[in-house]
Amino acid sequence: MALLGPNGAGKTTLLRQVAGQLVPTSGRIDVAGVDMVRYPLRAKHFLSVIPQECEPRLDLTVEEHVRYFALLKGDRRSIGEEVPRLLADTGLSEHRNKLVRELSGGLRRRVLIAVALSGASTRVLLLDEPTTGVDPEARRSVWRLIDGLRARRIGILLTTHYIEEAEYLADRIVIVNDGHIVAEGTVDEIRNRLPYGGRLEIRGLDHLSPSAADVVADLERRYRVGLRIGNSERLEIPDPFQNGVVSDLSRLTACGVPATLSPVSLEDAYLAMVGGQEANLT
Amino acid sequence: MTLVETIRQVGTATRMLLVESTRALGIVLGFTIIFPIGILFFLNVLVAPAVRTQVVVGTIMMEMALLNVNSLAQTMGQDKQSKIFDLWVSLPVSPVVYTFSNALSMLPFSLASALVTLAVAVYGFGVPLAIGTLPLLVGGLILVWGSTMGVGFLIGAYGRSPRQINSYAQLVGVILTFFAPVFYPVTILPLPLQAVAYVWPLTWGSTFLVGILHGSGSAVLLGGSVLAGFVAFWFILIGLGVRWRQA
Repeated sequence: MALLGPNGAGKTTLLRQVAGQLVPTSGRIDVAGVDMVRYPLRAKHFLSVIPQECEPRLDLTVEEHVRYFALLKGDRRSIGEEVPRLLADTGLSEHRNKLVRELSGGLRRRVLIAVALSGASTRVLLLDEPTTGVDPEARRSVWRLIDGLRARRIGILLTTHYIEEAEYLADRIVIVNDGHIVAEGTVDEIRNRLPYGGRLEIRGLDHLSPSAADVVADLERRYRVGLRIGNSERLEIPDPFQNGVVSDLSRLTACGVPATLSPVSLEDAYLAMVGGQEANLT
Repeated sequence: MTLVETIRQVGTATRMLLVESTRALGIVLGFTIIFPIGILFFLNVLVAPAVRTQVVVGTIMMEMALLNVNSLAQTMGQDKQSKIFDLWVSLPVSPVVYTFSNALSMLPFSLASALVTLAVAVYGFGVPLAIGTLPLLVGGLILVWGSTMGVGFLIGAYGRSPRQINSYAQLVGVILTFFAPVFYPVTILPLPLQAVAYVWPLTWGSTFLVGILHGSGSAVLLGGSVLAGFVAFWFILIGLGVRWRQA
């Protein structure tokens, strides 16, 4: 499950409460059936956390880091087999003897993921912006790693500012704004809350021929203009796969107007929900 | 959580922190060995031989206390900045494990520093010390160390940034130096300040250690008991999770 929301929406606060770092002012948090507020030490046996922008300890080797934190979390009898497996699962085996300070940002994030995966009793994994500050290649490698955890059948709750990350990783999305949940569901369910199904993006509005200007004006009468920036605009259309819409696109391209047709994205829905356009939602 | 599990976690965390310290061993050893010898030499040049024992006691106590307070507070500050503190709080470990392990990982260095200072004092400046009292002395130093553990924890827990934590630690260092009469007898302070001085664990540490060096059993008993009380107080306070989970 991914938590999406603007800065200050309450994503990290919620995650820190679930992780037992903050005490909630009201309500109840159960982790694997254990009350986190009343029995934090017992509840923490069932969860693993990667805090936002967390740096692992720099003067330990990768193997030492994973081993010591795994020992603090779990069962020391299985540690001899568990650490090599964790290093292999996270692609860190070849770096096992390097100091953490010698690793790139992406590999350091993997060290924290390896720690988080230790302990046989883990039922919930909390990831607070797991790929913030890492380059696009490392981000995708962390995504593949997180995606691979589905097989372990543990619940994963992650916060992110990257819509693409939520779409790639999450089965369910929760959008929060100002401390409240404004939408919850699968990516499709959230996209379907928009009153339109696609968007027609038209570029080059500042140098339209007279015939092209007529076509654009006709389209603007028929469809709502959702966004206009510089010399481009975005029209909201009911269904991008309808024959009429496709012929509208053909009319534009026949006049030499660059245009693209696409279905609505999660980002469109997100912006509508947190950008004060709730009235546009069904 | 059982006591055995807690002790096991303390052992694991202390080992981890010691391994880290050994990666910067030069700096740690330089600080713990050269610094106290310098202070001791300086004080012995300026201080009359009559109060030399008190000065030695003061120096080794400051090594035990200040290194403990400073390193614990600053480690917490760094851990908060790097967000690894959040990871610690999310682990199934109590605040006692985190605090005690951090303090314990610096204890060998403080203790080595104090013992080097003591050796220089005994062999270099003729401060009297019966070898038989050495175990009691080491025990006393550990009590002094334990009695200041909570001070470092509170500074680290309440400080909002490493810079603020550093400032608090410096301030507490100055207060400990001047208001706890470790370099001079408590009796030379005005009465109201004597009352304030007895609130600080180092005053009792001074009573304890001077008692050992002068062979006063009652001072050892009184100082030791109060120091043990401080240690117990900090364990309870830290164990209650003060500022561990934030409200």
